[in-house]
Amino acid sequence: MKRTLIILLRNPLSLLGVLLVLMVIVLAVFADFIAPFPDHKGAVVDFVYFNQAPSDRNLMGTDLVGRDLFSRIIYAYRISLMLGVVVLVISVPIGVLAGLFAGYRGGKTEFVLMRLTDVFLSIPPLVLAIAMMGVLEPTLLNAMLAVTAMWWPWYARLVYNVARSEREEGYVLAAEVIGASQWHICFREILPNCLPAVITKMTLDMGFVIIIASSLSFLGLGVQPPTPDLGSMVAEGARYLPDSWWLTVFPGLAILVAVFGFNLIGDALREILGAEQ
Amino acid sequence: MTPVLAIENLHLGFKGYTGYTEVLHGISLSINPAERVALVGESGSGKSVTARIILGLLQEVRGATIRGELRFLQHDLNSIGTKHWRDLRGTRMSMIFQDPTSALNPVFTVGVQFIEVLRRGSAPLSEAAALSRASALLQSVSINDPERVLQAYPFQLSGGMNQRVMIAMALANNPALLIADEPGTALDVTVQAQTLDLMNQLVASHNTAMLFISHNLGVVREFADRIYVIYRGRIVEQGPTAAVFNDPGHPYTRALMAAVPRITGGGIADIPDTSDEFLQPCVNHGSAL
Amino acid sequence: MSAVVQLLLRRLGISLIVLVGVSMLVFGIARIIPGDPARIALGPNATVEQIAKLRSSMHLDESIVVQYGHFIKDLSRGDLGMSLYTNRPVTLDIAEFLPATLELVIVAGLLMIGIGLPLGRWSARYRGRLADHVIRLVSLLGVSAPSFVWAVILMLLFAFFLPLFPIAGRISDTYTIERVTGFLLVDTLWAGNFQAFSNALWHIVLPAFALALSGIGQAARLTRANMIETYDKPYIEMAQAYGFSGRRIANRFAFKPSLIPSLTIIGLDFAAMLGNAFLVEAVFAWPGLSRYGVAVILRKDLNAIIGTVLIISATFLLVNLIVDLLIAFLNPRIRHSQRQTS
Repeated sequence: MKRTLIILLRNPLSLLGVLLVLMVIVLAVFADFIAPFPDHKGAVVDFVYFNQAPSDRNLMGTDLVGRDLFSRIIYAYRISLMLGVVVLVISVPIGVLAGLFAGYRGGKTEFVLMRLTDVFLSIPPLVLAIAMMGVLEPTLLNAMLAVTAMWWPWYARLVYNVARSEREEGYVLAAEVIGASQWHICFREILPNCLPAVITKMTLDMGFVIIIASSLSFLGLGVQPPTPDLGSMVAEGARYLPDSWWLTVFPGLAILVAVFGFNLIGDALREILGAEQ
Repeated sequence: MTPVLAIENLHLGFKGYTGYTEVLHGISLSINPAERVALVGESGSGKSVTARIILGLLQEVRGATIRGELRFLQHDLNSIGTKHWRDLRGTRMSMIFQDPTSALNPVFTVGVQFIEVLRRGSAPLSEAAALSRASALLQSVSINDPERVLQAYPFQLSGGMNQRVMIAMALANNPALLIADEPGTALDVTVQAQTLDLMNQLVASHNTAMLFISHNLGVVREFADRIYVIYRGRIVEQGPTAAVFNDPGHPYTRALMAAVPRITGGGIADIPDTSDEFLQPCVNHGSAL
Repeated sequence: MSAVVQLLLRRLGISLIVLVGVSMLVFGIARIIPGDPARIALGPNATVEQIAKLRSSMHLDESIVVQYGHFIKDLSRGDLGMSLYTNRPVTLDIAEFLPATLELVIVAGLLMIGIGLPLGRWSARYRGRLADHVIRLVSLLGVSAPSFVWAVILMLLFAFFLPLFPIAGRISDTYTIERVTGFLLVDTLWAGNFQAFSNALWHIVLPAFALALSGIGQAARLTRANMIETYDKPYIEMAQAYGFSGRRIANRFAFKPSLIPSLTIIGLDFAAMLGNAFLVEAVFAWPGLSRYGVAVILRKDLNAIIGTVLIISATFLLVNLIVDLLIAFLNPRIRHSQRQTS
């Protein structure tokens, strides 16, 4: 653990990733103190300063009703991070459990669970979320639900593959021979072997959830105004290209920066944890 | 007589996070034309890296520092440049690997791989000409149905069959030097013995010099004219096979010989991990020739 | 029966099972909708009688199992029901909009393979050197933004700032091309109108790149990772020991074994593009399935939603089937597996 951290901080690229992610987290957590115009996160109108290019007053310009874009991006990070964390906290345990049982138990459990994940995995990720949002009301909570529903099968598949190969390993047979319970074998013997892969995937997925969630709101199927969201900000601004370029460029870059940070860390983790195995 | 290969005071070290680690501490070794020389030692002693240095493979690894003279035929390998060195590989020098099945590419047929190797040789070869030559070469390693083997993928053939294929490939372009790195250790003992016999005969008929790398003294005794014993990156004993076996001078060689399993039983003596005795200077029995 | 045909039949069977599963899933999702679909469809001014009539014609009065039965029966006749949004059969709507989306996705897929694989191969060959670092960074950037962000950035740079490419649409209005396949790149050639073809090609460049960028990054990363794993294999050392050039080893001996495990994921990335096409189409006003899809979703047009998702999933399964066959063709272990079993 400590060694992993040291390697992470020593490599310039993963260090950049850590710094970017820390920046995003700090911005999101302390938004109330950092944002120059904290009240602009809501339905505020300031027609004196509407549609302004970036300036000393508004670092990233203002939107069509005069709200400070920088402040809104900071608050949008809050929503993105929360969405990412909630989705992973719910979907990872579900997926891991499903994969673990399917992989270890085999037989009917395996067939049913894996065909179920096949079904979920054969709908392109975004399309499933779009379809779910289509029948649900577009709210933050439902967006979380929709993304969670499309996310767990990936973890089920990942853990299933590891569990299935570990099932044949000597140490699992040894544990069975000395009469260890299935519970013990699943959680104490097999699960620890899946963790590096799961942790790596979670880091990369933080970025991916942010992408999917912003895509939903870009299509108008996610978080609704006036709540600030990076995806809907880009969608709104896209109509005013190229003159009001800041309306799309800054929210777009904000997504890029956050996701890039998580991906840099995830990549480094994959190399470190992968090499340790 | 000019030796096929002459290595003088070869050092190899790696730069890593923990600093510089030296693996070879000045190895000298020479092989005469058509001579069969064995390099014997336990794993980690530096046998395999020596083979890779001769081929010029380790030079491309970053962090590896190599010093020492390397002469191959009339070439000074350190000065001919990587391109020229590469041209010698597969033509004038070639190598047989430990596990034949994993050393052949799994997604190409034996025939395709054989043609590639033959085309490394001098003249441009048509596919038909290459195939008939490959087929003849396979027959020379006692493969009776070369056409089937050429159409097969390595995973469809037995380990012994793959080993023969590899021997045929290694000798396809009539190299001056063949390096055999623990050949056939991955095979079972009888198959290993058969293929080694075969290799031995072929090397003799092609007039190829051979560097035989092994940890197995029994095998070495049968196949080598001369022996170098290597321990922890140093040559500790060298000389004609008979001389070394009859009168092992170095404590490490004696320990190694004591560790060979015998039919008479009595168990295998352990070689201590390290011993001050083993660091004694090299014992040289001179050359047989 | 050859191993490949056996494989094809087995995969086809599994795909069919999965497709039935998808239809149940989508059908289920569509029926948990809060509110009465008939009332939503007819709007607030509908009379009770009108709603009741529509409910019974949509089988909404019956149990969900019976509804699903009706749905499957209609589906087997190629009938996905009427779209409440366009008032036309859903199949007709899909047939109209799907080709544009497929055309975009296929071109993007070709870009992904044509650029991503060589980049990854190059990166692996020069591992640890400058070229590798640059490619890794660029491909990581590629996967780090949703395609609508790339669409907006590309549009700003290459349509507005440097006016090289058109801003929207599939082809300039001046051309009228007879619809044969619905794929403009094919139809223009079919009509022998090369000017129109190059115009259509010119229109598809930016959207296809925006859609492909993350796929290119993903393909490059994957190829690099698999190639690096392959480089540690004894047969690569053997190729080096036999004096093959670095280029030949990278392009032939290391590439083919690495391609096989990459292909599965590339198939999945293709699937992701079917979804992401929604985003790119929105930015470039591409007249594909996306606008239709989003429109029917916002109107809660159930038949159309089910039809759209089903057709996209079927396309995706078809792509995976093709990928599986390609793998079987490339991987001799699968192609010759009957020898091992018999």
